[in-house]
This record gives sequence, C-alpha cells and structure tokens, in this order.
Amino acid sequence: MLALSHVDAGYGETTVLRDVSLVVPVGSVVSLLGPNGAGKTTVLRVASGVLHPASGRLLLDGDDVTGVAPHQLVARGVCHIPEGRGIFRSLTVRENLLTQAPSTPPADALARAVEAFPILGERLSQTAGTLSGGQQQMLALARAYTTDARVVLLDEVSMGLAPLVVDEIFSFVERLAAAGRSLLLVEQYVTRALAISDFVYLLNKGRMAFAGEPGELDEEAVFQGYVGASV
Amino acid sequence: MRDFFPFIIAGLVTGSVYGLAATGLVLSYQTSGIFNFGHGAIAAVGAYLFFQLRQEWGVPWPIAGVVVLVIAGLVIGYVFERLARGLEGTSTAARVVATVGVLIAIQGLLTATYGPAARDSRTFLPTHVFSIGGVNVGLDQVIVFLVALGATAALTQYLRLTATGSAMRAVVDDSQLLDLAGTNPTRVRRTSWAIGSAFAALSGVLLAPAIGLDPLLLTLLVIQAFGAAAIGRFSSLPLTFGGGLVVGLIASLSTKYVSQYQVLSGFPAAVPFIVLFVVLVFARRGWLAELGTSAARKVGRRPHASRRARIVGVVSLIAVVAAAPFFAGPRLPVYSTALVFVLVFASLRLLVVTSGQVSLCHATFAAVGATTFAHLAGGAGLPWLLALLLAGLLAVPVGAVVAVPAIRLSGLFLALATFGFGILVERLVFPMAIMFGKGGQVTAPRPDLGVFDTNTPKGFYYVAVVIVILGLAGIHAANRSRLGRLLRGMADSPVALATLGTSVNITRVIVFCLSAFFAAVAGALFASFSGTVGGVSFPSFLSLTLVVVLAIAGGGELLAPVVAAVALQIVPSYVRNATFNDYLPVLFGVSAVAVAVLSNPRLDVDARLRALGTRVHWRDRTSRIAVRARAVGAEGRP
Repeated sequence: MLALSHVDAGYGETTVLRDVSLVVPVGSVVSLLGPNGAGKTTVLRVASGVLHPASGRLLLDGDDVTGVAPHQLVARGVCHIPEGRGIFRSLTVRENLLTQAPSTPPADALARAVEAFPILGERLSQTAGTLSGGQQQMLALARAYTTDARVVLLDEVSMGLAPLVVDEIFSFVERLAAAGRSLLLVEQYVTRALAISDFVYLLNKGRMAFAGEPGELDEEAVFQGYVGASV
Repeated sequence: MRDFFPFIIAGLVTGSVYGLAATGLVLSYQTSGIFNFGHGAIAAVGAYLFFQLRQEWGVPWPIAGVVVLVIAGLVIGYVFERLARGLEGTSTAARVVATVGVLIAIQGLLTATYGPAARDSRTFLPTHVFSIGGVNVGLDQVIVFLVALGATAALTQYLRLTATGSAMRAVVDDSQLLDLAGTNPTRVRRTSWAIGSAFAALSGVLLAPAIGLDPLLLTLLVIQAFGAAAIGRFSSLPLTFGGGLVVGLIASLSTKYVSQYQVLSGFPAAVPFIVLFVVLVFARRGWLAELGTSAARKVGRRPHASRRARIVGVVSLIAVVAAAPFFAGPRLPVYSTALVFVLVFASLRLLVVTSGQVSLCHATFAAVGATTFAHLAGGAGLPWLLALLLAGLLAVPVGAVVAVPAIRLSGLFLALATFGFGILVERLVFPMAIMFGKGGQVTAPRPDLGVFDTNTPKGFYYVAVVIVILGLAGIHAANRSRLGRLLRGMADSPVALATLGTSVNITRVIVFCLSAFFAAVAGALFASFSGTVGGVSFPSFLSLTLVVVLAIAGGGELLAPVVAAVALQIVPSYVRNATFNDYLPVLFGVSAVAVAVLSNPRLDVDARLRALGTRVHWRDRTSRIAVRARAVGAEGRP
C-alpha cells in the first residue's frame, strides 16, 4: 500500500500541494482527477520520490519512505511512468528495455515486453527516438510489466495518441490491474479511467476536494472540477 | 614522400594521446553536463604521481601505473562527481569558474610541491627502434599509440554493449528517468567520471617521458585535447579520438614546414587552439549544443549602502591610495602593479559580471596594449599620453575579433573559444615582431612631466593613480549609461533584450571592445612602469587566474576589482612566509570552487544569509515596522 499523509510539496518557494493525503490500497485502481495545474503530476512525483515533500510523509507498506531516492523506491516496487514519452531517445529499444528493468534478467525483460506489446519485438534494434509516438509510449509503459512493480503510477499515458493506440494502452492498463498491481492513474479520458477505478480522488488548486468511490462522484462535479470552479 | 613519415608517426602518437585525453573529457562532460577545464590538471597529477611512485620510491612501473589509474579513477573521479553534483543547476559562469579553479588549485599544488622547474621523467617503455619501410619507429611509440587506441575502442564498446554503458548513455538523455527506472544516476556518473579521470591520468603518464614533468606544460598539453573534443562536437567519442589524431598530425607536419620560417615558429604549438577556435567560430549554428540547464542569475536583495556611505567609502579609499607612498616604503612598486590590476579587473568585470560573458583571454588584451604602447611610445616616439590612448584603441579591433565567437556562441563555448584565442595569440603572435619579437621583450618609456619626476617609484605611482582613476571613472560611466543597463539586461535575458528592439550582437561587440580598451590601457601602463615588458608578464594562464580571483572577490563594482588586485598583488608581498605564497594559487582555486558551489540556487544560501542579515543588520528596522503596525492596529508579522 502506498500512501501520502498530510503532504505539503512544491518547487523552490512555490507551494503546489497543501495537506494532501491519499491512499492506494493493495490491488486496487485509483484515479486522480483535477483541472490543469491542480497538482496531479506533483502528487505522482512525490509518490515516486522525485520530489520530496516539504512536510508530511510518504508511506509504503506502512514504512516511512519520505526522502528515499527514486531508484530505491523502484527497488521496493514503485514504478512511475512520467508524463510525456518516458524513454531514452538515443538508446535502442532493446537497450531501453534492459535499462528500464535493471533487476530483471535480460531475456525475461525482453520476452515480457514483447508479450505485452508485440510491435516492440519487431523494433528491438531501432533507436527509440525514431519510433512513432504510440510505440514510444508502449516502450515507456513496458516497464510497468517487465519489472516486478507492485505500485504503478501512470501520468497521462494516453496523451496525444491516436484513438486506436489509446485503446491498446487502456487494455494494457486493465491487464496490469487484473494482474493484481496497484495503480494510480492520472488520465484525461476521465470516463474511461473511472470505469476501471475502485477509488477516485479529486484534486483542486493543490488540495484534495473529494475522495471516494466513482459512483459517489457525479459527473457535474467532475466537470466543474475540470473547468476549475470550486467543488 | 619518405621525408614525411617520421612526422606522420610522431603526429599519430601524440595525436592518439590527445585523443585519449579528449575522449575522457567528452565522456564526463556528456554524462554530467560539466565541462572540466581541470582535465589537464588530472593528467598532470597522474604524471607526477607516477613519477613519485616509480622514480622516488622505486615502485616497478607496471604497479605504479595501476596505482595511478586506480587513484585517479576512484579518488579524483569521486571528487569531481561530487563537485559536478554541487554545480548542477548553477550558471555557466559558475561552472567555468569552478573547474578553472580546480585547474589552478591543482597546478598550484604541484608547483608548490615539486617546484616550477621541469623534472626529468625517465622513459619506462622499451625504446627499441625498428624499421618499417625504411622509417625508424620506436617500440614505445607503437605501444603508446596502441594503448591510447585500445583504451578508446574499449570504452566505445563498453558503452555499446554493457548495461552500465547503456545507463551512461541513458543518463545523458534523461537522468531523472533513469532514476525512476531504478538505476542510481549518481552511481552511473561516478563511473563515467572515474573512467574520464583515469583516461586523463593515463594520457599524462604517456606524455610525460616525451615532454618532461612540468606542471604547467602537462596541464596545457592535455588542454590541447579541447581542440580534438571540438572536432568530435563534444559528443562523439570516435570522432573525438579522430580529432585528436588530426590535431596531432597537423601539428607534427607543420613543424616540418615552419622550420624554414622563423616567424611561424609558434605555429605547431598553436595548432590545437587554432582548431578549437576555428571549429567554434565556424561551426554551424545548432551544431554544438551546450549541456546542462543554466540557471538564471540569482537576484537577491542585497543590503544597499546608502549614497552617503558609498561616497564616504570611495573618498576614504582614494585617501588610502593617495597615502600609500607614506606607508608602503620599498613596496611601493607593488602598489603600482596592484593599481594596474585594479583596472584590469574592472575591465574584466564589465565582461564577466555586468554582461555575463565569460572571457578567458583577458591577459591577451593587456599584452596587446603593452606592446602597442611600447612600439608607439618607445619605437615611434609618440607622446606618452597619446601612445597610451592609441594602445587602448588598437586593442579594440582585437576585442572585436573575440566578439565574433561571442555573437555565435554562448556560455561554455564562448569561454572555450576565448581560451583558445588567448593561447593561440600567445604561441603564434607573441613571438612576432609586431608584439614582443624574437627577444621576447620590448622597452617602454615613462612619461616626461617636466619637474614632476616620474622615474621615482613615488612619481610613477601617482601617474598610475591618475590613469587608473580615469579608467575606473570611464568604466563606471559605461555601467551607469544606457549601455550598462543593456549589458545587465543581456546577462539576464538576451531574448528579452532582442524583443525590445536592441541588437544583442552589437551590444556584445561593444562590450568586448570596451573591455579590451581598458585592459589594453592597463597593459600599457604596466609596460611603461616596468620599462621592459615581455610575454611572460601576460601568459594565457594569467587570464584564468584573473577570472578566478575576480569570482572570489565579490560583486561590488569598485570593491571587487580592488579586493581582487589586493589579493593577487599586495597580499603576497606582505606575507613573508614562502609556503603561504606558494600555496596562494591553491587557496584561490579552492575558494573559487567554493564560491561557485555556494552560488547554486538550490542551496538557497542567500535566504540563509538574508535571514542572518535580517537578524543582525535590519533588526531595528523590522522592529520599527512592527511597532508602527501595532500602532495602526495591523498585525505585526513576526
């Protein structure tokens, strides 16, 4: 279980998150919604250790892991696929897959990645930066599957992709959930995200505006949340 | 054709060592974003350590070699990785100052420990000579070439085939993502610094027998790797190694030709720097991309002295300067030199601090001024003051030449280009008749002011006082004028300046010209004071020291040049302790590193200082505000 407890966080002198608490229970899918600039990405950055909170705590399976470096959290089963294309552009697909999963045996990592996204198998020697946008995103996402991550944080992984590719990405996300991984989703396709979510949080201006189950959240409130009105 | 073979072989051998050093440099630059001006100093450390182990302590050379490589890789590599981490997010100027500081510190340390004279480095490789197609080749040459080539090839394969190699390339792409993917970027960077430093040390060990152990020469020889790195675009390892070979070949082959022309005697030694300068100046835009995020200049609230306090400060400073002949005694000439350096530092500050452009050839401007003055006032017999002014004016075109790379390049590459320019002028133009000539020295007269005798130390001192005050006033006027505002604006954001309709390029040219003018006047003053002046007074290395000392002297417009000149000239003359003076460059270098690391906005030293300042200096003011706030019924903020 991953949890943020009363977290304040920000960049330099700017505070982005104020008193944010959030729990990702084991084996559940959690959606984090909110308008642009609400601080969703910042929540994920805190959760993966990229950004250390100014106050509050980050907990993993009950242990306090506040201030632990990202690569150490990875070793403890946290996997954060960042916004944009989370790949090493100048490396080949194969090198990317191996670098992404340092503790998985190379043959395993490649086999699992190809199982998840067969197209990657045809492109192993290609430089990652020359893949199409959808393929780059698949390459980035493969990490969630090739490592033994227990908590997967996905930041707008469907952004800027063609509808068909979005379908493929979502079915991959569902497969991850079915495999028992805990997921924390930040998604622009709100309805699709809510459809697979067990819990939902609504973030507004750096504060939690709502926490509950998707059924309790009426669409109007979500819409209002997204256009930035206070909920 | 056969005549060329020996030159080709010699060129390939030295070129391969340049290539080796350059490969290490590019590796660490790529993975950390910090370009290490101190790379040559690591080579020097390697060579001296090898010398110490093998020749002083009698360790067999293979063991000594391994020890040197391990120490260079693990210890020096570790130190540099820490330094690079401390510099992450600082301005380009801070990074240049920090690594130049390391260069100066290490070079000073070696000089203090082993003395400035070159030590003899015995060859350790078999020197058996055999003949290939009638050309004699030394076995040691073959071994050196193969070692350099083999190390570079092994590194290239290592990067391609191993997991750590992939991670090293990945850290260049996106270090945060690598962290998220479960590999510690710090560990990866440490490995690359270790390899880079070991390569530098190895190149030092390989070069030392050929050129002898000389701290300055070894350091500069490896800086020749900069030219090779430029050919490799500071990114491609194989091209960088090839660049090393090209530089070595051109330098070696040119020795065959220039031996016939006395005037070009400095050409071979200048080749790497000509290559560096030419590549940087003529490279297509976008061909070179500077790595690392460069931070915007920090604008902290500084406690501003009141106008009255400033006037009092300036007046008392002038009083001290004017009274110097009464307390300086036999040290008065040192004070005259210090005055010259106040002007040098003030003109450098105009470039580095006001306009934010790091120039590493400032001593060259002063040298140009010194020789021009000597030729005009001494040779052509022009009046003293006219010659002084003309010396300044004739340096203006030189400033414009340096400004050409400034238009095209920014930050790091400008620093590199100016550095290359300084060395190439020193090696190529200094020996020519238009500068210091074959003898390496020119003579210059002192002014003739009738009854006022300028030939006494005191007489000339007052001449220097007047000229330097006039110069400082000119620089102050430039700072206060529209140009000064443009320069400060340019340092903050060239783009913003351009959108306001100002030509950034012309502003850049003007500031270089202006800075060159004042530096040249200072150089001319120095020539007149010294009587005879040579290139040794303005070595290219001095340019590095100037930037470093200015960086640690603080930010005040008048105070910084004065502090810098006092630190560089007056302090050593008062401290009788020879050890202290030997280690003074080390102190400068280390302080510069500290200043650069402390300038990191992530440290937020300013906020801490501010908090301290609030407590100490502004206590009365805040308490007054609190009282007033309470009086009007507002809540006084703690």
